[in-house]
Amino acid sequence: MKTSYTIASISAALVGAAALVLGLADVLVWAGSTGPISIGILEITGDDFFRWAWGGLVVVLGGVLMLAGARSLGDLDQRATAVLGVIMVWLIAGCDIFGMICSGIPAGEESEAFFNSLGGFIGGFAPPYAPAILLLPFTLIVAWLLLDQRQGA
Amino acid sequence: MELTSDQRWEIVERVASKVVSTGTSQRSLADALGDLTVKPLTGLPVALAVLYAFWSIFSSFAGDLVTDGFMVKLFDNHWLPWLQSAWPDPNSVLYFLFVGDPLADNCFEAFGVLSSGLFVSIGVVLPAVLIFYLTMTLLEDSGYLPRLAVLADTFLHKIGLHGYAIVPTILGLGCNVPAVTATRVLETKKQRFLMMTLLAIFVPCGAQLGIMLAVIPESVGWVILYLLAGFAVFGFLLDRLIPGENPEILIDVPPYRWPVRENVAKKLWNRTKGFLKEAVPFVLFGILIVNVLYLLGVIQALATALAPIFVTWFGVPSETVGPLIAAFLRKDLAVAQLSTIAMTPYQMITSVVLVSIYFPCVATFVVMLREGWKQLLAAIAALVVVVFVYGGVIHGIGILLGVA
Repeated sequence: MKTSYTIASISAALVGAAALVLGLADVLVWAGSTGPISIGILEITGDDFFRWAWGGLVVVLGGVLMLAGARSLGDLDQRATAVLGVIMVWLIAGCDIFGMICSGIPAGEESEAFFNSLGGFIGGFAPPYAPAILLLPFTLIVAWLLLDQRQGA
Repeated sequence: MELTSDQRWEIVERVASKVVSTGTSQRSLADALGDLTVKPLTGLPVALAVLYAFWSIFSSFAGDLVTDGFMVKLFDNHWLPWLQSAWPDPNSVLYFLFVGDPLADNCFEAFGVLSSGLFVSIGVVLPAVLIFYLTMTLLEDSGYLPRLAVLADTFLHKIGLHGYAIVPTILGLGCNVPAVTATRVLETKKQRFLMMTLLAIFVPCGAQLGIMLAVIPESVGWVILYLLAGFAVFGFLLDRLIPGENPEILIDVPPYRWPVRENVAKKLWNRTKGFLKEAVPFVLFGILIVNVLYLLGVIQALATALAPIFVTWFGVPSETVGPLIAAFLRKDLAVAQLSTIAMTPYQMITSVVLVSIYFPCVATFVVMLREGWKQLLAAIAALVVVVFVYGGVIHGIGILLGVA
């Protein structure tokens, strides 16, 4: 099979590599190999097995699939593999955002009120963010490029 | 006028040429994605991601939003105080049965039919059931569930089940109540019994997993390992001991499709309606029965009678008997109670495994009863044997390792 490099394949490889590294960081911080990471708007606390170990592993595997599919995107199966990797990162990011929405609606245990104020709700979306959310805009671009890629190109 | 055979065929051709169009079909990206999610190398990572999403959505919606966000506040700050003030005579038997502990300040600890009973069924289990049914329906209608069943089929066949048994297993990790109902996807009585028994014994519910992660985070891995090993070993043994058929199934793997909103809404409504009509009254009735047993001293007598077995056979302190009896009502609270007892790490692992494999919680118990009292009795018999044998084996492993 002839290997061809396009903007789509290069961006899939770059975002895949980033997902691989950030996902590994999620798992390593959870495992205690390194302390919590906080760089700019990126934050990995590693305090929860479910989010950081399992979720981190999914981001790692998403990165691996993007990298594996990035070669020869003209081949439909290769392209589908990269798209699958993108979808896996979306699942984690989507769950993080859904979690923010769900925890932002109620007023909180201490408050007498049932519903949060609008300001409190919007404040719940402020940075820092987990790696999957930061990867989200880049994966959207990769997905657009992958879907735009013609078979045999 | 009668037509000849040739004339008929001519008409058929004319009709066909007008309504049938032919061409070469091209494999689409959706087809390729569909194939990749069935192959183990790419399908298993996707399954990990989907199960993660399933769990995350469940805990965010049912846990953070509905139960912790609104229901706890509604029941603890409004319903319970009103009930305690409105119900006459806090020292009466009826108060104990229906409102529970007069000093309780939350519905978790009150244990009355109208306090804990309503809170557990409406405030905790109903949102969990609702979001589980919604996500299950979406997975089913989008075409992912059959693919997950294909991936799990090889392993589940070794214990007499088939791929679709993954559905009640996943449901059980959230709450065993809808999981027991979901065993109806299995074909034979043997398979339904096997699944129900394994669910009741080896699949810890979400509440229990949550409290385990909170109070004994360092030992959860071991507990899960023991439960997984038990699920595989006892599933294998029960499959060989129980007579009956394990039919092969032919799973239709449809292409991926967007779920139709009307179909999803209809399925969700039918399934939730079934839960509300059938399971909620049983949960309330079950709590009433347990309260009556407490009043009659049956629970205390059981605790006293079982203490020697726990100490000598399972190798755990006699203080663990109380929490284990309480596990019948709430397994998560039982784990929390265990965490306050002085034990070695290995004793803690053993006792948490025992809480997990011990009698199902009252809600699961009553839903199993609804599936048939003969099945329930047989499942309890299997459960007693498994708890006794497995509890002893874990103690034995601890002795061999020199940690028990």
